[in-house]
Amino acid sequence: MRILLGAIAAGLLLTVLAVGWATQTDRLAQGYAPAQPIPFSHRLHAGSLSIPCLHCHSAADRSRHAGIPAVEVCMECHRVTKTESPAIVQLKALFDSGRPLEWKRVHSLPDHVYFDHRPHVNAGVDCRSCHGPVEDMTVISQAMSLRMNRCLACHRAPRPSLPAESDLQRAPENCHACHR
Amino acid sequence: MIEDADIRLSRRRFLGLMGATAAFAAGCSRPDRGAIVPFNKRPEGVTPGLADFYASTFQEGLTAYGVLVRIREGRPLHLQGNDEHPGFRGKTSPRAIADVLRLYDPDRLRRPIVDGRPSDWARAEARILPALKAARKPVLLLSGALLSPTRRALVEDLRKALPGGLVHAAWEPACGESEAQASRACFGDERRSRLRLDRAEVVVSLETDLLAGERTEEIAGFASKRAPAGPEGPMNRLYAFEGAMSLTGANSDHRTPWKPSRAAALAFALARALHRKGVPLPSGVDAAALAPFDLDALAREQGASASLLHGLVDDLKRAGRAALVAAGPALPPQAHAACHLLNAMLGAEGRTVDAAFAPPGEALAGLQDLRGLLRSAAAGKFAAAVFWQANFGYASADPELWKSAAAGLPLKVRIGLHADETAQACEAALPEHHWLEAWGDFEPASDLLCLQQPAVGPLYDTRQGEEILLGFARALSKDAHALPADYREYLQRRWRREVYPAGSLVPFESFWQASLHDGVLRRRAAPRPPRRLDGRAVNAAAAAALAVPPPPGFELLLSPGAGVYDGRYANNGWLQELPDPVTKLTWGNAAALSPSDAQRLRLQDGDVVRLEAGGRSAEIPVVVQPGQAPGVLSAALGYGRRSGSVASGVGVDLYPLLGAASVSLTPTGAREALPFAQRHHSLEGRDAARSLSLSEYAESRRKGRPERPLARLYPPQRFPARKWAMAVDLSACVGCGACVVACQSENNVPVVGPERVLKGREMHWMRIDRYYAGPPERPRVLLQPMLCQHCDDAPCESVCPVNATNHDSEGLNQMAYNRCVGTRYCSNNCPYKVRRFNFFEYAAQTREPAGLAFNPEVTVRPRGVMEKCTFCVQRIQEAKAAARAAGRPLREGDVEPACAAACPAGAIVFGDLRDPSSRVSKLALSDRGYRVLEELGIRPSVTYLADLTNPAGPEERRGA
Repeated sequence: MRILLGAIAAGLLLTVLAVGWATQTDRLAQGYAPAQPIPFSHRLHAGSLSIPCLHCHSAADRSRHAGIPAVEVCMECHRVTKTESPAIVQLKALFDSGRPLEWKRVHSLPDHVYFDHRPHVNAGVDCRSCHGPVEDMTVISQAMSLRMNRCLACHRAPRPSLPAESDLQRAPENCHACHR
Repeated sequence: MIEDADIRLSRRRFLGLMGATAAFAAGCSRPDRGAIVPFNKRPEGVTPGLADFYASTFQEGLTAYGVLVRIREGRPLHLQGNDEHPGFRGKTSPRAIADVLRLYDPDRLRRPIVDGRPSDWARAEARILPALKAARKPVLLLSGALLSPTRRALVEDLRKALPGGLVHAAWEPACGESEAQASRACFGDERRSRLRLDRAEVVVSLETDLLAGERTEEIAGFASKRAPAGPEGPMNRLYAFEGAMSLTGANSDHRTPWKPSRAAALAFALARALHRKGVPLPSGVDAAALAPFDLDALAREQGASASLLHGLVDDLKRAGRAALVAAGPALPPQAHAACHLLNAMLGAEGRTVDAAFAPPGEALAGLQDLRGLLRSAAAGKFAAAVFWQANFGYASADPELWKSAAAGLPLKVRIGLHADETAQACEAALPEHHWLEAWGDFEPASDLLCLQQPAVGPLYDTRQGEEILLGFARALSKDAHALPADYREYLQRRWRREVYPAGSLVPFESFWQASLHDGVLRRRAAPRPPRRLDGRAVNAAAAAALAVPPPPGFELLLSPGAGVYDGRYANNGWLQELPDPVTKLTWGNAAALSPSDAQRLRLQDGDVVRLEAGGRSAEIPVVVQPGQAPGVLSAALGYGRRSGSVASGVGVDLYPLLGAASVSLTPTGAREALPFAQRHHSLEGRDAARSLSLSEYAESRRKGRPERPLARLYPPQRFPARKWAMAVDLSACVGCGACVVACQSENNVPVVGPERVLKGREMHWMRIDRYYAGPPERPRVLLQPMLCQHCDDAPCESVCPVNATNHDSEGLNQMAYNRCVGTRYCSNNCPYKVRRFNFFEYAAQTREPAGLAFNPEVTVRPRGVMEKCTFCVQRIQEAKAAARAAGRPLREGDVEPACAAACPAGAIVFGDLRDPSSRVSKLALSDRGYRVLEELGIRPSVTYLADLTNPAGPEERRGA
């Protein structure tokens, strides 16, 4: 009898743990690399061409959202560059139509998290600290976990992610810093 | 409001969903995370995540409020006053703040309705234009107050275009008629004067709510004279004589219950007493006409203190041109004439009563004029009627007349936001833009123009009301090209022609853009010559005041509802749930009656009575109102609407009784539960809300503050960088409720509905407590804004079993919703009852598109979570991030919570307590400062500054 009860209890515990593990929101987040409507390569643009992140994600130091560039920004170069490539033909058609380009979202935080790019970028935190080696990615993917333990680890000891000249020693650990 | 069944999750369904979720999570990899959709071409100046502000103008009746609209990702989210608007000091009316919700009202008309069927504009025009073209009789245009020179020009253009002519009448059910009538009689025109409370030392209010929430300018002026640096003053003195308890009475230094029918007599008696003390009468005013008005006899009759009245006469004489006497819209014209006389005698006319820059008067139709027009309509005198703005089908309140008028009109067109009572009687209902989608201009003063510009594109297939009329004029006009197709162009053309200064070196386009940017245009205008009081009119008014027989039964005072106004905002849940500032009643109206009458008739709160006058009646619950004058009944208009999913059936429609001076009252024996937001009215001897007279203040200053050492259970908190704190000056606060609405809009505070308010489950993070002290016949009223006090040693924090609420390093009592499991221990342990528990999934009940009004910077809280004021932490974080991006430290004034930003009295100050030069640190050390329930040793961060009163003498203070 006791064995049976123990087995049931263990079974229940296992079920709960399994369901909990299976349903955790970002279990499959790391490595998520969906196919994008335009095969844009960060390896080419950010890597080989060394275009600074802020050139396209231009709001990262001014707004909470880093911002995905408008199609217009792509066309700054692609009016004349690689105009014959099928992807650019597609891009040009979209630009001329005036319709927006629907990218697949890769990095996502839960609704109760109010992450703000501004303080991080303005403090000199390297984009790669959270987004990983984007300059090596042909297809953009989520390289790192975006869970709270990682946020807090860095907020408690931010030095490794900051430029050497920065005098910041700690970042806020209050609930209100991210949740409101 | 909320059906429990809708949101109850059965166990079976729960397990089903759980199973499905687990299977889903395990089965398919990589749940899709949606799309990110950037612009194709980013408009200049638009950055996702950053708010933009646009200046626009909100009009209500004869007032225009300059506002700033906060916009995120194209959505208007929050309104605040435009600080360019003179007199308003960057503040605005609570109803203006709440009106952003009406933009997203799910009940709005989304396309034209023709003959009861959803239709389109082409069909609507085909139905209307031929009839207008063929009209041989005049067309009737009934609108609200225009207040706009361009609208007036448009009406003239329409008049020219209509073959049979146009009869236009503007009606504002809530504006009253007597003020304009008296002004016409005494000064020969309808110009409305500004009441300059910022210049007034002695203010006498006769049944007028000078400090009602929408009177932003008066509140700001009053408050500027209410918070002196020390007991020497200077401070103004407010005398209120009123039948109903208003915010003005609640904030007065001397409030005397006074029957409205005797208000004119009081004003004339004051004039006579002043005259006998040597103040000359204006030319033409006959001293003999004033002879019958005796102050002592009136005092005896109304049970008032004669010495108070004589003291008032001395006060007025001493104040001279710094005095101000004002009468309310419910009083007859003779009371207004008597006030004009007093102001003229004192020299206040032209000083505290300022008509120098009054705009051209706008003749509003009275109720009798309106009914006359409807009778003409019933007799077939008009070819068609267009109803714009005011809700005539509801507020004209004569169902038979309305029906016969409708029958006598071959074509009726409604231009409005909703399929309301008026629209239901019309062949065509044309949906109109909300003002946040529309263009316009307003002229609140001859030296000021306010511009209205769209803050958002039209949400539906609507057109702006002016553009619909312009379309009519264009279609009917012989020279169609003389009129532009859209109203913006029409407006711009008029501005180029009439507003743009001739010979200006600035191109018109720059002038126009600059005016749009500011929202207001201050113009050079010559002040009008001072108004001259016509003595004969005053003599006639005195004779009329004498001839008024005492009305039989109860005197009736009807006033626009504090939230719903004349009924136009009745579909706005925020305003329905905004408690009446005095009775604290939400979701409906009740007839207030005096405690002695209630005792005599054996009536209690919620007993339903039948009011009858002139063959019309209404059944309404009563509320026993301390301070109400015996024999006077007062109630709010704007309830009992018959359309709108929120509005219909809430409260009782009292428009049928509008115009009746008195009513008979019969108890029906029925009872109704009234959803009060506050149920206990006494402080029970505690001093949570403190009030001092100036002499008591001087006394307390002499004695110094008793230092009570407080025991501490916890080690002191340390705040290394800064400590956020607030100070609330109860002397400046008038209790208008602008902070409550602003907080609701900023913080996504849900509306719970009357059933939950009855259970005490309202969700307001910010509320205004109202206490009565003293005898119920003549109570003193204390008003106190109450919000989370962010105690250093917060009792809520120590009882939370999951540490969901705790303290941050800057003094905020923070609440992590995602951690909260809903034990409600914190709420039990909070001595201020400011924590609100979310019992239902209110957000899920939001009908689209009302969800667009949610502030994206604040979590929309789910069910089962405790919530409360955060000191607008989203604004703190935004200010910090912006300061850091600009590479500068956070400065005083960078952070302003929504309540402080909205407070017209400037009573709420927020800042860093660690900075000794900040305003809040200075106020925290004020000798009027105290902390509510500080004896508990919990160290609240909110300092209240005791209310100050300036009574005429110590003996009157208790007596009157």
